[in-house]
Amino acid sequence: MKPYSIYIDKWSQGLAKLLQKYDIYAPIKHENYLDYELLTPGSVSAVVYNQPKPSTPLKAFFFPVKENVVRETSKRTKVVIGAPSCDLQALKLLDRIFLEGEYLDTYYQKAREETIVIGTDCLDIQEHCHCTTYGIEPYPTENCDISLAIWDQKVMLQPLTAKGEQFINELDAHDLFHGEIDFTDLLQKRESVRQRLKIHNQNLPDNEKTREGVIKAEDAIWKKYAATCVSCGACAAICPTCHCFLLIDRQGFEKIKNWDTCQYPAFEKVAAGEDPLKKLYNRLANRYFCKFVYKPDMFGEIACTGCGRCIEACIGKINKNEIITEICQHL
Amino acid sequence: MSEKNIYKPIKFHLDKVVEETPAIKTFFLSAEQDFNFKTGQFVEVTIDGVGEAPYTPSSSPYVKDRMELTVMKAGYVTDKMHQLKGGEILGIRGPFGKGYPVEKFYNREIIILGGGVGLAPLRCLIYSLLEEEDKFRKINICFGAKTPADFCYKNWFPELLRRERVHLLRSVDKADSNWNETVGVVTVLLDKLRVDWANLIAIVCGPPIMMKFGTLRLLELGCREENIYLSMEKNMSCGLGKCGHCAMGNYFVCKDGPVFTYDQIKNHPDIWI
Ligand code: SF4
Ligand code: SF4
Ligand code: FES
Repeated sequence: MKPYSIYIDKWSQGLAKLLQKYDIYAPIKHENYLDYELLTPGSVSAVVYNQPKPSTPLKAFFFPVKENVVRETSKRTKVVIGAPSCDLQALKLLDRIFLEGEYLDTYYQKAREETIVIGTDCLDIQEHCHCTTYGIEPYPTENCDISLAIWDQKVMLQPLTAKGEQFINELDAHDLFHGEIDFTDLLQKRESVRQRLKIHNQNLPDNEKTREGVIKAEDAIWKKYAATCVSCGACAAICPTCHCFLLIDRQGFEKIKNWDTCQYPAFEKVAAGEDPLKKLYNRLANRYFCKFVYKPDMFGEIACTGCGRCIEACIGKINKNEIITEICQHL
Repeated sequence: MSEKNIYKPIKFHLDKVVEETPAIKTFFLSAEQDFNFKTGQFVEVTIDGVGEAPYTPSSSPYVKDRMELTVMKAGYVTDKMHQLKGGEILGIRGPFGKGYPVEKFYNREIIILGGGVGLAPLRCLIYSLLEEEDKFRKINICFGAKTPADFCYKNWFPELLRRERVHLLRSVDKADSNWNETVGVVTVLLDKLRVDWANLIAIVCGPPIMMKFGTLRLLELGCREENIYLSMEKNMSCGLGKCGHCAMGNYFVCKDGPVFTYDQIKNHPDIWI
């Protein structure tokens, strides 16, 4: 599909018009964070593009914190602008879990089908970004309908799906350019971001080495790092790949699908009392086994996409990458 | 939504409740439509507005319009189950999991080792095996309970004893004055069998401690790792491989089990807890 480009003010005007038809979410910056907000005609021009990364992981649009999965819901089509590559890659694993196999999660499926995802290049890096360590490019390559980047006051739009192309045409702007675009500038920027990430994370082991380190790690290491863990579950809530949930019962045989995590006590406890994850350090270790051993074995997909959010979110100051560096240091 | 909603229970009527032991009751359910399941598969049972828990039916999969569930009082949902009197509506999702590969047991001698409420899924299995009794060489059933009063399905045993290929042995940890069978842990029953250990199929279900010592004894006697079938009890929520609660290493027990051969899971550190 050929790319499109449009001046940023026209793009904003187009988006503002489309608010009548769609719920459009895009990153807005506040003092300490950048996060998706439902746009209003007044906030369209405040959208921040090409910056890592919204606090909320993309999964929340398809797998909400709390969702009634018995009642029928009819929602307006959503457009999510500004998904970073780490979050788009995470959808690979989530799609395999919720859409594949014998049982189809129709709520997740519906949300995936009815959401237009616009991914963006990260043209800057943050302290804990480390996607390239796991072989992920810092720009959208798949799992989105449009890839967006801004330079020279212009919005470059590369449609990746028919749904994406249709959305671009709905912008209905006269000066929407469609045809060959010279991407040399963007490619150079991408390369420089990639290099910065590589240098920034040069001592961080890749996923294969991490896997080995996790398997060989002594309990003492998990115990040491678990000392400041308070089992709050923030690391899992904010993680773009963590998929665990609990079905909560409501009158009328209704069920609420609610985010849950192996980091909470009693996550695996059975009625008779046994609990394989009774000890806090076992729960911490389980998180690393899940991400670097079990999920790759079960689904052939990595379950950490290097977004760094769990490091930023941890009130116990547990740094995933410090743990990984330590468990791999003698390999 | 045209596709089936995997989270929505279908309604079953609770016809009656029978007390098996002071801690165990059997719930007799009937459905409006036929319900198909394979032996060893489980269902998720919802008490409206209260909670949901997984149980393997204890009745025959050949009976389609009714289903029996045998439940031990062990936690919040099972306590509420035990308060039901009959006449209520329950929600059922499923069947889930893989169950026992009965075809693989054809022409073999079988040992079924069970204890406590573990007899529930085993009763379902035995019903299935007896539907085609002549396909199996012999069905050795070794059941244990704490005391004679702690056996479920007391009326079922005479029926089993009449079966030609069934060899039933029972033990209790503590006998009463009427008990004239074995006294001791259930694994002692294995020592009474004259069987070709290397070629038989062993199926174990019961409390974790019994599963552990049962499996270890079977291995000592020469049973092959791939011929020992264990049904694993895990915390479960969705029952269908999405929610992560039942994770055990590289498996979701709900979807990849709940029945596993010992060699599939022996390397996982916490299989007995
Ligand atoms: S484990 Fe941490 S760094 Fe990896 S994807 Fe999850 S939140 Fe991001
Ligand atoms: S790390 Fe824990 S909460 Fe996250 S997916 Fe794995 S088991 Fe679930
Ligand atoms: S019970 Fe939900 S994944 Fe097994």
